[in-house]
Amino acid sequence: MRKRDETLAGWAFATPFAVLFVLFLVVPAVYGLYLSFTGETLTGAGSGLIGFANYGEALTDPDMWKSLGNTLWFTVLSTIPLVVLSLALALLVNLGLPGRWLWRLSFFMPYLLASTVVVMFWSWMYNPTLGLINGVLAKFGAAPVAWLQDPKVAMLSVVITTLWWTIGFNFLLYLAALQNIPEQQFEAAAIDGAGKWRQLFSIVIPQLTPTTMLILTLQILASLKVFDQIYMLTNGGPAGKTRSIVQYIYESGFTGYRFGYSSAISYLFFALIVVVSLAQYKLINRRSAA
Amino acid sequence: MTEDFSRRSLLRAAAALAGGGLLVGCAPGASRSTTDLSYWHLLTGGDGTVMAGLVDAVNAANLGFHTSQTVLAWGPPYYTKLAMASAGGRAPDVAIMHASRIAGYAPGGLLEPWDLDLLAEAGLHESDFPARVWEKCQYDGKLYAIALDTHPFVLYYNTDHAEKAGVTDALHSLKSPEEFTEVATKLQAVTGKHGLSYGYLGDGSQMWRLFYTLYRQTGADMKLVPGQRAEVDKDAAVQVLTFIRSLLNDKIASRSGDGGTATSEFLHGESGLFFGGVWELPVLKDAKMPVDALPIPTMFGTQAAYADSHTFVLPRQSKVSPERRKHVYTMVAELLKRSVKWAGGGHIPAYQPVATSAEYQALKPQSNYAGIPAYVNYDPQVWFSGAGSDFQNYFAENVQNVYLGNGDPGAGFDGFVARLNKLLDRPQPV
Repeated sequence: MRKRDETLAGWAFATPFAVLFVLFLVVPAVYGLYLSFTGETLTGAGSGLIGFANYGEALTDPDMWKSLGNTLWFTVLSTIPLVVLSLALALLVNLGLPGRWLWRLSFFMPYLLASTVVVMFWSWMYNPTLGLINGVLAKFGAAPVAWLQDPKVAMLSVVITTLWWTIGFNFLLYLAALQNIPEQQFEAAAIDGAGKWRQLFSIVIPQLTPTTMLILTLQILASLKVFDQIYMLTNGGPAGKTRSIVQYIYESGFTGYRFGYSSAISYLFFALIVVVSLAQYKLINRRSAA
Repeated sequence: MTEDFSRRSLLRAAAALAGGGLLVGCAPGASRSTTDLSYWHLLTGGDGTVMAGLVDAVNAANLGFHTSQTVLAWGPPYYTKLAMASAGGRAPDVAIMHASRIAGYAPGGLLEPWDLDLLAEAGLHESDFPARVWEKCQYDGKLYAIALDTHPFVLYYNTDHAEKAGVTDALHSLKSPEEFTEVATKLQAVTGKHGLSYGYLGDGSQMWRLFYTLYRQTGADMKLVPGQRAEVDKDAAVQVLTFIRSLLNDKIASRSGDGGTATSEFLHGESGLFFGGVWELPVLKDAKMPVDALPIPTMFGTQAAYADSHTFVLPRQSKVSPERRKHVYTMVAELLKRSVKWAGGGHIPAYQPVATSAEYQALKPQSNYAGIPAYVNYDPQVWFSGAGSDFQNYFAENVQNVYLGNGDPGAGFDGFVARLNKLLDRPQPV
């Protein structure tokens, strides 16, 4: 009786979430899959099933491949420093520097800002004539750089902004993990004559492996889904060099009005994310088994 | 006991929340009275303040209705939301739309045409509007929009600098790109920095406005018809792009001029000329600088100006209230009659009784460019063009490098046309 009560209560508590989940996630996802096989547009013109035509078009659409390429390039450029640098920062702060709270605060604080705010002041910093960065460069006699408008550097600028904005989260995860390593291990290692570098590579980094794997997984998924900072900083420009796949989905659907086509690209992208996640899952499992 | 109670009330509250949320989400167009009009627009800053004042004035006239305005962000956010609201049939009673976007909204049934008889009852007639503007408000022979204004891209100049450089007369009479370059060079010598300010970097609209003004001045056309290849004049385009590039050489004008830089440069007297929309006028006037404005000089033979118009449209509603609809006609007529206030923001009033009034003609420098509606050029009429559209982004994607001085004008323009052809090739979604 008591058990049944608890089960009921459990269901009751889960229901509001479950209803919202089904209504706003499962239903749209299934409907999106259906749409991807239709020619549905905003006004309903050209609707009706058209089989795999949208998928065929997407796979041969150079703009789709270009924006997918941009997304993957962004993922590579952002993930590596977001893992390596956040570890370096966490290690530095964990050294026991004076004013540790200040370091923690300053690394983590940007993460709390809304993307609009971040973009606002980074676009000022990147401003080719009035911006802080070019101002500093000019002091050293360097020529001004069109940070967001030069096709060669725009993606790098986006990555730098992203790095500044989001590194705090990974940093905090690493810091927490670092503080969980028992002090005795270091003492024992020191007694055995291991230096600081030896301790880093033989104790710290191996102990951090689960955290690294977690960060890596979260980071790759987050980077693949990049949209807002790029959309606001460069709107995908210059010359489409920073247009992400999510922006291309948005443009196809919401400004190009082709819901069917945009759903098809979404599902292709979804498939890619599933593959990446599965690959990572396998990798992590093999590691922990070894 | 207390625990039990709180748990239950929590559940009840949660259920009520979930249920309530659903109800609100599905309620058809909330029961509004027939005298409450909803009005959406994208006018912010100075324009927003003036529009709010006009709406308040009409509300205060006690004409039997009250208008509430909803202001949304300019560009894609506004147009996407308006399209969605119309597609869902839950659109506002009246909305502002750029004349250049009508072709993207009228064919799909997202807008409803205005009734000429009802307009006449409200006191508005075809003869009250400039012919080209009235024509642009039509689609397929039906009137889908009532223009509030025409807002062209113009040439501002610093009167002090122009005097010092001795180019004031030349500015009013110049007829070729060479003469323009000469004037700008003389001004550069006076300011010691730049002759011209033009903010275009990262801004497709700005690149397009200047290009299209000059391109149309060559007499070239740009015809875009879905299902056919784009009809363009590449030679004219290359000529114009080459000229624009020659100005952006870090001497006459900064190569890295974005909107903020250009305005601030001109405001601080660091340049003598400024390409900008008429909507920039309030900022320049507030700065109390010695400024005047002109239509962009005819440099390529044919008088032409790029402009757009803010217009009133009737987004599609699944349930139309004839009473509210009638009030909308009155409201629009009343706003137009007061549009001399709107002209204060730089715009040219579309409503001729206002545009020809002594009060408007006395506005300086507004009346200098009051003749533009007679030879105005809107974006090519196709569903994907218009203010804040992807069309202008595609232009920027392909020619920004040309403006920056790194790209070949011909190749840049070809890239743009290829993109247009791809869009024209596809089934039209609206």
